Amino acid sequence: MLELKDLYFSVTEKDGLNDNQKRDIIDGMSFVFETGKFYAITGPNGSGKTTLARLIMGINQVSGGEIHFNGQDITGLTITERAKAGIAYSFQQPARFKGITFRDLLSISTGIDDEAKLISLVRRVGICPLSFLDKAVDATLSGGEIKKIELATTIARNPKLAIYDEPDTGIDLWTIGPMVSLLKKEQMENHTTTIVVSHNKAFLEAADTVLIVNHGKFVYVGNLKDALPILADFSICNYKNCPEGEQDARCFR
Amino acid sequence: MLDALDKDLLKVVADLEDIPKGAYNIRKNGKLASRATSANINIETNAENTGIIVTIAPGTINESVHIPVILSEAGLNDVVYNTFIVGSGSDVTIIAGCGIHCGGSAPEGHEGIHEFRVGKGARVKYVEKHYATGPGAGKRTLNPTTKVFLEENAHVEMELTQIGGVDDADRLNEATLGAGSSILIMERVMTDGNQKASSKNEIILAGENSRSNMVSRSVIKGNSRQNFYATMTARAKCVGHIECDAIIMDNGTNETIPALRAEHPDAELSHEASIGKIAGDQLMKLMSLGLTYDEAVNRIIQGFLR
Ligand SMILES: Nc1ncnc2c1ncn2[C@@H]1O[C@H](COP(=O)(O)OP(=O)(O)O)[C@@H](O)[C@H]1O
Ligand SMILES: [Mg+2]
Repeated sequence: MLELKDLYFSVTEKDGLNDNQKRDIIDGMSFVFETGKFYAITGPNGSGKTTLARLIMGINQVSGGEIHFNGQDITGLTITERAKAGIAYSFQQPARFKGITFRDLLSISTGIDDEAKLISLVRRVGICPLSFLDKAVDATLSGGEIKKIELATTIARNPKLAIYDEPDTGIDLWTIGPMVSLLKKEQMENHTTTIVVSHNKAFLEAADTVLIVNHGKFVYVGNLKDALPILADFSICNYKNCPEGEQDARCFR
Repeated sequence: MLDALDKDLLKVVADLEDIPKGAYNIRKNGKLASRATSANINIETNAENTGIIVTIAPGTINESVHIPVILSEAGLNDVVYNTFIVGSGSDVTIIAGCGIHCGGSAPEGHEGIHEFRVGKGARVKYVEKHYATGPGAGKRTLNPTTKVFLEENAHVEMELTQIGGVDDADRLNEATLGAGSSILIMERVMTDGNQKASSKNEIILAGENSRSNMVSRSVIKGNSRQNFYATMTARAKCVGHIECDAIIMDNGTNETIPALRAEHPDAELSHEASIGKIAGDQLMKLMSLGLTYDEAVNRIIQGFLR
């Protein structure tokens, strides 16, 4: 359903010696994501995960290669066109507005402003209390609150392809389980192709396929078990020796 | 007395479909067009014949006064001095506003000086909208001044809005706060073309435990220019905050100078100021929810000015 064909994203930067040093942040990525599957993308900080997600949404423009979505070459489409085609993206760092509420974002997202429908939507995404609807999506929200709103606006679009960029950042330990269940439920009930960028074991375990990104390349594609030794090598976290419970959460943060 | 054009202007500046309920004073082209008083709210022309005196009896609750001004006569520059005496313990809404319809090439303008004396424990919401329209090339000027005196524990909320079409605006807001009183000023101005707008604000926190919050939101389109100046002076233990944000579109220019002056050791004053284009991440987010670029811009501006 989503095919990356030899994708590149390059920037030029100064490196001391040379003023115009080219750097491939995404360095030749190819992969086919299948309809209705759940993918977890992980890898060290700065490896290119967010950049990849932004290329798929059309926020960044590819330097080389093609992106195909349901058989259509979408490489040249705008963000709006991709959104209308059924792609949704939950930003790693969600925008904060002035004078725009959660309710406004949900109505923009769905085209609905009927109170009963909005409330059932808020229930569906597991946000409570309902008074949250009229919260301003501004600088006063906590990191966890804005991530929940971000996730809700993505689900609200009923996308064919949903990409969540580190949805668990700032989310308390008790909410991660329900968040994973929610995304799984959306995947199961609506056949949403789901891509979650995360270091959290709960998301990696929920995935059908784990992809590890390093230096702008997929260095591993497969199940979680075989991914663990590679991840251990990155010293992201020692997945094997982690005890259960609260320490577990600290470990996988 | 009021024609269709007048009614259009009234709708925009005072949300009035027709003659308002309760007390009102409608001024058209420098003259009284119609007036009504109520049991608790009296309106009379002042001794100098330069404006009106609105007197609100102490304890008047949940009443409103509409005092719109409309101008549709080319070459007219209307100056008024209105005084509002708000009795202690009352809770009222005052809706002012000026609409200009300019049909010719001669300039039209209005200078309204509104003075408020807000009694002990009284609560006032003041809503003022400015708007100009019409096919004429005449310059439309609106220079409003508000002077607010808050007695002990009084509370005033001011919503000052300049929606569009005004070529030149020079605003002055002054407030002096007594003990325990508070004021919230929310100013929203949008300019376009070659329009100019300037807002000067002088807030004096004179009484102990007084509080003030000044919020200014500017959208500056085309080649227009807006300047914003606000000074908060603390003369007692008090809390004051200034928040001024300007969004620049096209080739707009802006100068924003918030100033804080503490003349008392227990003053708590702060300000935030920002000038910039519409944030890229806000645009990207709304586009990723399916809005086009232009729709996203409009939605962000609409929220910003809300
Ligand atoms: N537009 C850009 N210009 C220059 N450098 C960029 C740009 N976008 C991302 N980068 C850099 O590319 C690298 C990968 O970033 P990112 O995709 O955010 O990593 P991750 O999400 O895996 O932590 C980082 O070093 C980042 O600073
Ligand atoms: Mg990232």
